[in-house]
Amino acid sequence: MKVSLNWLKELVDVNITIEELSTLFNLHSGEVEEYYNLVEATNLVVGYVESKEQHPDADKLSICHVNIGNEVSQIVCGAPNVEKGQHVIVALPGAVLPGGFNIKSSTIRGVESNGMICSLSELGIDKKYHHEEGIHEITVECNPGDNPVEVLSLNDSVFALDLTPNRADLLSIMGVAYDTAAILKTEVKLKEISLVEVQKSNPVIIEIDTDKCSSYYARVIENIEIKDSPKWMQARLIAAGMRPINNVVDITNYVMLETGQPLHAFDYDLLETGKIVVRQANENEELVTLDNETRKLTVNDIVITNGSKSVAIGGVMGGLDTEIISTSRSILLESAVFDFYSIRKTSNRLDLRSEASTRFERKVDPNRTLLALEMASMLFGKYANGDILKGVNKVENGDLTEKVITVEAGKINKVLGTNYPVELIEETLSRLNFKHTLENDLLTIQIPTRRQDILTYQDIVEEVGRIQGYDNLPTTLPETVSMGALSPSQLVKRKIHTLLTGLGLNEVVTYSLTSKDKVLDFVSKDEQHLLSEVVELMMPMSQDKSTMILSPIRGILESVKYNVARKNNDVLFYELSKRYTKEEETEVLCGALTGELSNVLWQGKKEVVDFYTAKGIVSSMLLELGLSHLYFEATNDYSNLHPGQSAYIKDRSGIVGFIGKLHPQYEKANDLKNVYVFELKIESLLELRRPLKKVKEINKYPSIYRDLAIVVNKDVEAQSIKTVISKTGKRMLTDIMIFDLFVGGNLAENQKSIALRLAFTDPKRTLESKEVDERVKEILGSLEKQLSAVLR
Amino acid sequence: MSVKEKLQELISEAKEKISLVQSVHELNDVKAKYLGKKGSFQEIMKLMKDLPNEERPMFGKLTNEAKQVITNYLIDQKQLIEDAKVNEQLRSETIDVTLPGRSFEVGKKHLLTQIKEELEDLFIGMGYSVMEGPEIEIDEYNFEKLNLPKNHPARDMQDTFYITEETLLRTHTSPVQVRTMLDNKEKGPIKIVCPGKVFRRDDDDATHSHQFMQFEGLVVDETTSMADLKGTLLVAARKLFGDKREIRLRPSYFPFTEPSVEVDVSCHNCNGKGCNICKGTGWIEVLGAGVVNNNVLEASGYDSTKYQAFAFGMGVERIAMLKYGINDIRSFYTNDIRFNKQFK
Ligand SMILES: [Zn+2]
Repeated sequence: MKVSLNWLKELVDVNITIEELSTLFNLHSGEVEEYYNLVEATNLVVGYVESKEQHPDADKLSICHVNIGNEVSQIVCGAPNVEKGQHVIVALPGAVLPGGFNIKSSTIRGVESNGMICSLSELGIDKKYHHEEGIHEITVECNPGDNPVEVLSLNDSVFALDLTPNRADLLSIMGVAYDTAAILKTEVKLKEISLVEVQKSNPVIIEIDTDKCSSYYARVIENIEIKDSPKWMQARLIAAGMRPINNVVDITNYVMLETGQPLHAFDYDLLETGKIVVRQANENEELVTLDNETRKLTVNDIVITNGSKSVAIGGVMGGLDTEIISTSRSILLESAVFDFYSIRKTSNRLDLRSEASTRFERKVDPNRTLLALEMASMLFGKYANGDILKGVNKVENGDLTEKVITVEAGKINKVLGTNYPVELIEETLSRLNFKHTLENDLLTIQIPTRRQDILTYQDIVEEVGRIQGYDNLPTTLPETVSMGALSPSQLVKRKIHTLLTGLGLNEVVTYSLTSKDKVLDFVSKDEQHLLSEVVELMMPMSQDKSTMILSPIRGILESVKYNVARKNNDVLFYELSKRYTKEEETEVLCGALTGELSNVLWQGKKEVVDFYTAKGIVSSMLLELGLSHLYFEATNDYSNLHPGQSAYIKDRSGIVGFIGKLHPQYEKANDLKNVYVFELKIESLLELRRPLKKVKEINKYPSIYRDLAIVVNKDVEAQSIKTVISKTGKRMLTDIMIFDLFVGGNLAENQKSIALRLAFTDPKRTLESKEVDERVKEILGSLEKQLSAVLR
Repeated sequence: MSVKEKLQELISEAKEKISLVQSVHELNDVKAKYLGKKGSFQEIMKLMKDLPNEERPMFGKLTNEAKQVITNYLIDQKQLIEDAKVNEQLRSETIDVTLPGRSFEVGKKHLLTQIKEELEDLFIGMGYSVMEGPEIEIDEYNFEKLNLPKNHPARDMQDTFYITEETLLRTHTSPVQVRTMLDNKEKGPIKIVCPGKVFRRDDDDATHSHQFMQFEGLVVDETTSMADLKGTLLVAARKLFGDKREIRLRPSYFPFTEPSVEVDVSCHNCNGKGCNICKGTGWIEVLGAGVVNNNVLEASGYDSTKYQAFAFGMGVERIAMLKYGINDIRSFYTNDIRFNKQFK
């Protein structure tokens, strides 16, 4: 809502600048988006064109002698419409026009020019408001030397309110005036309405045949003269951001802006029947609206009819058939109240938002419906020379009573956290023009119908709070005593962040929406049925963001791709995200690693990420989380992972996650190379943790170590070697560390050699070499028997 | 030559020899030569038996003194040799300390996580719990129980990703507040913050993202007031933007709160004087808040005649953008490591 300061001043005394008023509105009422002067220009005067001659050296220029009050100036003008005898706007040398345009005396093609004759556009009035080509001819009474901005009523300032949906009252100058008066502690001065009716009676018959129109008031005005509205009214409309059209349209808009009550004028003759019937539209009923669009209606729309055919979509837009045109002579002026929800649905469905529908859908003040009709009728008498027929015809079912809210002053203070004396609260209500009584501490407050947003005592609390100013609130903290702490699962997630960043990984956050054809990219063969469980949007904005992810890996890989394409080759990413299915949301930890770890350029130090790097990072994290008992088991269940380099991460109870290298074909299709990914279910990690319960004694006796290098068939997994060793090594064997893998050399093609270090310890005594050697011999025996392993 | 003279001669000879020795090994040879079993002193001692008894003590004393002098020469020379050796080692081991170290890169948490955790810690310190909830929500919790019935104007179908008529991607973390109130069997006091992902049906551009992170808070108790809200938000604003910040509450409208306010923080860039970050006003809008609407309390089973509540909500991306001068919200989801690694 753009508010003209001049207009506002007609209703309330404002003795502060637009800037100060804007600040106060921001703090007490609603957000002011911007404020500005309607015309931002200096050194303008009214000039009278005494003569006009052709410029000797330029076809399109004329030399004008212009009386600017105390002297006659020579001005070269390029506009074709400048004529002798016009009053025009002159920007004198030294003037600054909008956009920082400086006017100077100059010589144009050899002829001296002392200023510029201006168009309205050059003063900053957008062309959409006046449609004028060339300079503006001032048609109101004025004298050379006068200030043309004042003469044209454009000496105005505007502030633009960004309205919240509740404050429908601020969609009117009257509403803004009430808030201004409350803020500035002054009174609203209501305008007097006096209209003169002719003898002839208003003949229109009104029927309402729907519950979506609570009241309908109409007047008929005859013998109107269609012409331009007065300049002051045009200026008001321009300030409000509306285009002046003619006196009929302008008056209805003007009154709507002042009162907030939309009006509609029908050509009474074209209405034909002298009858108004308001009803619900018939299904598929058609109506051509003022914008020349054929609208197909439904039973949920309200139509105004003449008893046989529709002439307007009630509260939204008039019909073309009964539009006021230059030859119109009589009008039927409508002021009505339509159901807010119905209007909103209709304007949404038709994608048709008008100034009228905007106001109806936020609820209008039913006590201004008749007022607006009378104000407009008065103006029709005055500015369209119309004959106002006697009487307002109406159907009036609206509730005009003022709602009553009771609240204790103590409760207001309790909610605000203030100690406002009850007198101050009463004064605040008075400033808002809310009638009220006080009994003990209980306030009984009558809410004016203009404030349809005030429904409960909480709204009263807000009124008191905002008018007194939130700056006056004390700053305290809640008295509630409570313990704050992270939950066990939140703590574990924090620990995962700490561990993984400590291990050199960077966290990413990716989108949870993806395209449906990628949703199964990192889902195992056994879980393909999840495709029927994925969460899909009803109305996605695009196909690539239509489905909730089953794994964030796909999204993390997008980020990997983005970086690698920009030569950020070393990418170690993880994300804590979710798997979303129709059934549930489960948290997952995922990662993608490629390039080098702790890249150090100098001295050639390099640790290129491979499967074991990725596994090592995951294992280190699992160890620190008390999950060292999880194990890795080769799998080829993931179609986009390398079948020879992927593994489930498991516990005896089942699968906790997976790790693997991307399948070469998948890498190729995605412009990636040597990328390792992993995924772990957070919930399983939480369940399976084995936190330390009791400290382990540090062994007082030294361990004895034995290094073994054994040769086995290539397909014998290290895990099974360890199992055999630990079973045979029994309690004495306290640790098995694999420290080397060797293939080739003198080994057969299907062989590999694994080097292990075994630690033997007894907590109660120093072991003897001999008994350790015995045990090693047994171990070697078992290895040979069970895995055909031989000592290298 | 008297014994005394002989010893003198021996001492000066040893002194010279010892001073020429360059290694501990050689020094041991020299030591043996003078003090060893077959050394010079053994030779001199042999002379003693030819002396009369009364001269023997003097002889002994002089010899021992001479031995002591030579021993000291040996010790001093050994020290010199060792010092030289250490110095040589130090010289040879001297390196260019300005060459780079072999670094171990530590990863970074995402900026959104960093700010989320900073806020969580602040509120935990004030006794709040951190609550999480599903991102796929039912309409009832995301809207209806928050005083946003189906016909409410603030509820625009266009802004919400619906999955079915009744399920949707949550548009805010407020349904977590609803769930917490519903789950509270005693209907007692609540102090929570709710961080998490939310979704809006927006086209992604520099200032809009269809997915973003919200951080909301809720306090329910018998005396919870607007002044408590103001004090709490002042603490949060100062934690995020610095100790000198002030806040300003302006009237606004949200269906779930009444009164509702927008909260501005004094500009951290210009200290309130006005700059382009705050568009010359000295204030930056950072969050929305208010006293919880009684309809919301009642919808979750709380007696609104007994309880009062406040709630606030902020966009974590917006906080991060203001704090670090980030111009494009998409930067948070692109994950360019050169961007992500900056925030420590
Ligand atoms: Zn600033």
